[in-house]
Parts: sequence; C-alpha cells; structure tokens
Amino acid sequence: MIVYLPYLITGVVVALFWLAERRNPESVTRFEENVLAVILALITFVSFFQVVARYGFNSGWTGALEFTRLLFAWMILFGMSYGLKQGMHLGVDAVVRLLPGPAFRAMAIFGALCAFLYAAILIESAWLGILGADTSGGAMVYWSKMYQIGIGLDDLRYPEWMQDSFGLQERVQRWIAYLILPIGLGLFGFRALQATVAIWRGERELIIAGHEAEDLVAENRNVLKD
Amino acid sequence: METAILFVLVLGLLFAGVPVAVSLGLSSIILIAFFSNDSMSSVAIQLFTASQNYTLLAIPFFVLASAFMSTGGVAKRIIRFAIATVGHFRGGLAMASVLACMLFAALSGSSPATVVAIGTIAIAGMRQVGYTKEFAAGIIANAGTLGILIPPSIVMVVYAAATDVSVGRMFLAGVIPGILAGLMLMLAIYVVARVKGLPSEPWRGFGEIVAGGKEAGWGLFLIIIIIGGIYGGVFTPTEAAAVAAVYSFFIAIFVYRDMGPMAGIRWISETDSRASRAGFSGLVYAVAFYFVWMILSFFATSESESVTFAGRSNVGLAISLAIGVGYIAWRGDRGIGGVPSALVAGLPIWGRNLKLMGRNSGRAFFNEDTRKVMIDASKTTIMLMFIIVNALLFAHVLTSERIPDAITELMLGYGFTWFTFLIAVNILLLIGGQFMEPSGLLLIVAPVVFPIAMELGVDPVHLGIIMVVNMEIGMITPPIGLNLFVTSGITGMSLVQVVRAAMPFVAVLFVFLIIITYVPVLSTWLPYSLMGPEIVNR
Repeated sequence: MIVYLPYLITGVVVALFWLAERRNPESVTRFEENVLAVILALITFVSFFQVVARYGFNSGWTGALEFTRLLFAWMILFGMSYGLKQGMHLGVDAVVRLLPGPAFRAMAIFGALCAFLYAAILIESAWLGILGADTSGGAMVYWSKMYQIGIGLDDLRYPEWMQDSFGLQERVQRWIAYLILPIGLGLFGFRALQATVAIWRGERELIIAGHEAEDLVAENRNVLKD
Repeated sequence: METAILFVLVLGLLFAGVPVAVSLGLSSIILIAFFSNDSMSSVAIQLFTASQNYTLLAIPFFVLASAFMSTGGVAKRIIRFAIATVGHFRGGLAMASVLACMLFAALSGSSPATVVAIGTIAIAGMRQVGYTKEFAAGIIANAGTLGILIPPSIVMVVYAAATDVSVGRMFLAGVIPGILAGLMLMLAIYVVARVKGLPSEPWRGFGEIVAGGKEAGWGLFLIIIIIGGIYGGVFTPTEAAAVAAVYSFFIAIFVYRDMGPMAGIRWISETDSRASRAGFSGLVYAVAFYFVWMILSFFATSESESVTFAGRSNVGLAISLAIGVGYIAWRGDRGIGGVPSALVAGLPIWGRNLKLMGRNSGRAFFNEDTRKVMIDASKTTIMLMFIIVNALLFAHVLTSERIPDAITELMLGYGFTWFTFLIAVNILLLIGGQFMEPSGLLLIVAPVVFPIAMELGVDPVHLGIIMVVNMEIGMITPPIGLNLFVTSGITGMSLVQVVRAAMPFVAVLFVFLIIITYVPVLSTWLPYSLMGPEIVNR
C-alpha cells in the first residue's frame, strides 16, 4: 500500500492547486511567489547568520549547511512548475517562429507535451515498457523506499523538546526532505498539461521564453526611443 | 550509436522549441531508459542531489545581491563617479560608460542587468551631448558583456562547479582580463573620438572624483567583501555571496534608500546647519572607516596568531578618531576647537535617522519593493538552476557513456596541440553560444573539453577564462545574442541596427579573445601569485 502513498500526496497537492486556481488564480500565483521569496530569504539569512556566528562567536548550528542546501533543492523543484506556468524557461524559439500558423501551434503543443513526458518518466518509468524499454523505478518508488526505511538526514535534527514531547527520533527523516521530489514533478506535469490545453485553445503562444531578459526588456521597453 | 541518438535528440528537441532544460533532461532519461541498466529512481534522486550543490548555492546569493544593486540609484552614482574620472578625455562620456559598466559588473553577475541599469542612463546622456544613438548603443551592448567576466560572475561559479576548479581562483583570474577588455574598449573609443571629433566633458577636479567615489563607495565595497573574503581565506565563495546579498540589501534599503519604506528620504536635510552637518558626516566617516578597517584587517590577518581582535580594534579606533576629528575641523566653521560642539550639533541628525531606521526596520523586510526583488531573484535562480540541474544530468550520461574519453582519444589521434586545440574550443563555443544560454552550454561543453585540455597541458583556470570570454562574444553576435535583444529593446532600434552598431567593438573583443587565448599569464598570474597554483585531481 505504501507504494501508493506518494501518488496520493502528490494527487492531493495538485488537486488543491487546481481547485484554488479555479476560485482565484491570482492568489495561487501570489502563494507560489511568496513560498519562493520566503525560501530564498531563509536560505540567505541562515547562511549569513551562520557566517556571523562562526567567525564572530565561534559557534553555530550544525544543521545549517544541510538545511540551506535542502531549502535550495526545494526552491528549484517547487519553482520549476511556477516557471513553466509563467513561461520563463529558456528555449530556442527562432526556428519554430519561421513555421506557418498551424505548424507553429503543433510545435508549441509538442513542446508542452515533452515537458509533460519529462515529468511522467521521472515520476514512474515502468510504463515506458510498452515502447520496449527495460526500465523501472522513479521518484515515487524512491520516495516510498525512503519512507519505509525511515533513515534520517546527516546533520538535521529535531529540537530536544520535540524529540521529548512527540517521541520523535533524533534526526529528521529523509522522506520529509524528499517529499518535494514527487510533489514538484507532479506539479510540473500538471502545469505542462495545463499549458498544452491553453495552447490548444489559443490562449497561450509557447511555453518557452526566447531569452532570459524578457521581463527586464518588457519593463524598460523603448525607454530611449525618440 | 547511443552517442549519435543522444545528440540528435538534444538538438532536435532544442530547435523544436522545447525548453533547454527539458531537452537536456528528457534526452538523458530516454537514453537511460532505453540503453542503460540504471534505475530511474537513481536518476530522480540525482535531480535532487544536483539541486543541493553547495558551490552552486552561491548563485541565488549573487543574483539577489545584483537585484538589490540594480535599483536605478546605484547605477546613477557609479556613472557620476565614472564621468568624474575619465569624462574629460575626448569621447569621455563613452569611456565613462565603459568604466561604469565595468564597475557595475563588479556588483552584479549579469550582463542584461548591466545593460539596462547603465544603458538607460548613459545612452540618454551621450545623446544629449551629441553622440549618435548607434555609437552609444554599440558601446553599451559591448561593455555590458563584461558583466560575466568581471567577478563575481555566475558563469564562473558554474564552470567551477562543473570542473572542480576553485571559484576563488576563477574570480581572481577574471580581474586582469576584465580590466584589459575595458581598457581596450576605451582605447578604441578614444581613437574613434579623435577621428570623429567627439566632445569631451569639462574636468571637474579631484574633488568631484572624491565626492563621486564617496557616494558610489558604499556599493563598490561589495566587491571588496567578496574578493577580500575569498582571497583572505576567510569565507568560502558561497559564504561570501551570502554576506554580499545581506550587505546589498542593507545598503539599498537603509543607506541609499532607493527602495523600500524609506525611499527618497535623505540623510541630511537642507535646514541642517553647517556645523551639525560636519559633525554628522565626520562621525559617519569615522564609524564607516572603523568597520572597513575591521573587515579588511580581519581578511588580511585571519591566518596570523599574533594579531588579536583588541589590537586591531584599538588601531582602528585611533585612526577613525583622527579621521573624524580631522574632517570636522576641516569642514566645520571653527577649526579644531569647534569639534566637540559640531559633534553635539550632529547628534540630532543621527537621532532623526536612527529613529527613522528603527521605526521602519520591520517594514524594511516586508514591503512590496523587497518582495519584488526577492521574487525576481528567485525567478532568475530557478530559470538558471533548472537548466544547470538538467545539464548536470546530461553531463552524467555523457561521462557514463565514456563519450569524453572517446573524443579525447579522437582529438589526440588527429594530432591536436594545445595551440590548435584552443582554436577548436573557441570555434565550438562561438557557434554554441549562438543558440544556448551560457551556463547550460558551459556544463555540456566543459566535461568534454576539460579532460582533453588537461591532457594537452592547458591550465584549468586559463581554460575557464577562455570559455567565459567566448560566452561574452556569444552575447553580442547574431542570431541569438542576449545583449543585442536587450539593447534593441530599450533603445527601440531594430535588431539589425543594433548588430551594425555593435560590430566595430565586437572586432575589439575578438582581438581581446585572441590575446586571452594565447597569453595565459594574463589569466593565471593574479590567482596563482595570491592563492598558489590550481591542483587538478584526476
């Protein structure tokens, strides 16, 4: 049964996003942005105070390094679906833009489907067996294995009072840290499907950005034009 | 066979409009699924491990520091300082723009940010005194590329992560080439200015340089924290980056007040008397010097046992005191005798500002400006890191298929020497740079090229600098040149016009590339004399 647990968790998270978005799309975007901003702020402050504590006072928190690195991974794996939604992942659009209208749209849909495929294979690859691939495993299998073993992280520990009052083990379980892997990939696949539908309906042009400074240029467009 | 499939897949997906990161990642996992025995679970977890790379953790911090420093005000202060320094030469305003780009590049690791921040102000300024728009735009597009060569540079962090070269040495290695590139651009401008009779700015004296430097100094001190901290062996590059991010937050919100709850409120108001201003400024300089002294002496003496905190502190206090008293006696109205009264008169200004900062300290963290900077920085980080993580996956597949070894043998078999090999590297990167984002390209090319280079006795740091310079040129050459897009966007000129405008100076950068490629000592001298040679573990 444990094998289906990550599917359940990922499914619930994606469903929550979907439902919340139907009610109020703005608030979901704001939520995603706030999560990213808070993670970045946390990483920065923990690293900074760790430097101050270590060089200024010769002390520090042993878990700080692992904590910041885990948060970094969370930021990337959570943020990749947000990036897909906002269309900020880089790609080469020069070639497809040369194509006539319908072909261009077909390629745009193909691009979105590739992003879905990427998430689908990483979540669970056994279905590729239909195409003759000899492969198995994926994020879900790995996560359930970690959940069953229940081993802890290297340095990140629960505070004493939590260990005492909740009867927890000493180290934070690995599966908590790895939770973002199925969730992040699930959200990525979900956003890719959404993008596919949006392109199909003609509400969206492409899933990629032509270059990394598109926002920056849009903000300052033609400020120096005569 | 597998190799061919891998490359065909990547290029096919790339040109079909699939995101760069997904093209790399999807090709890798398809290859693993169909041709290798690795479990997909181990690939999925690799995605996670690659995302928590400690060296790469410096990237969000540098992006954040650069985002705080890109708020218009810093660029203005830097441009003022640059004009005061070199503006009086012929074509001085254009040279000052190059200098401003170099200084700004030292605060931010991003080229487009440099082009927008400096370009919006400098191009308008140049046009006012009679430069053509093409000339101005061409200079900014080129000088903006220095952003990735002058440390801190995100591309260098990526190179270091891909090849295990030290980030600190890479940063130091970028200093001399960065200055050389700037000087070459300035020299080219001077020649053009002589021929075309372009105007010069009036010489405003050393006072203006000092005044401009004082203003820009708060921001420019960032580079000293980064380089000094790494070189002094005090920080790891990631720690230095974290300190830089917090420092630039503090400077942007509390000192420059370009953004946040105190935006636009000046430190000294018009109604303050001369004595109180002198007293206030004197104390500011004394305190600022004390902190600068403590930080610098910490960097310089962190290894030494004989220097104590108290010892450094006492020397610093003595010099600070002398600076404070000297300044007040000089600027106040009653000489040395007026120092105590000026200090007392300055206290209300201190009180006013500290009260303001105290009242707003909570809102400094939670306001729309700060939120926007944080989100912009997260977006840039995610966009870069998603590519980098997938490029690492791709590089892993390359290595496990032993492709670099095969290419090394092939290249050595053809009788490549280091000389011809570097030409090949340059050509490969110049072509690749047309289509790919620099850090992604670097991660794909580095695992292939690096072992060959080591075999041929090319210095690892030198190779890194060559790669970075190639990326620079890739940014200003069509069809896909980031700086061209940005320049064309802000000036409203067509892409073709910008390409034509930038072309003469691109030629300068090509000469620069040849010099950098065949004079390794330019890149290696500074890092090796300060930090010792790079040891390659293979």
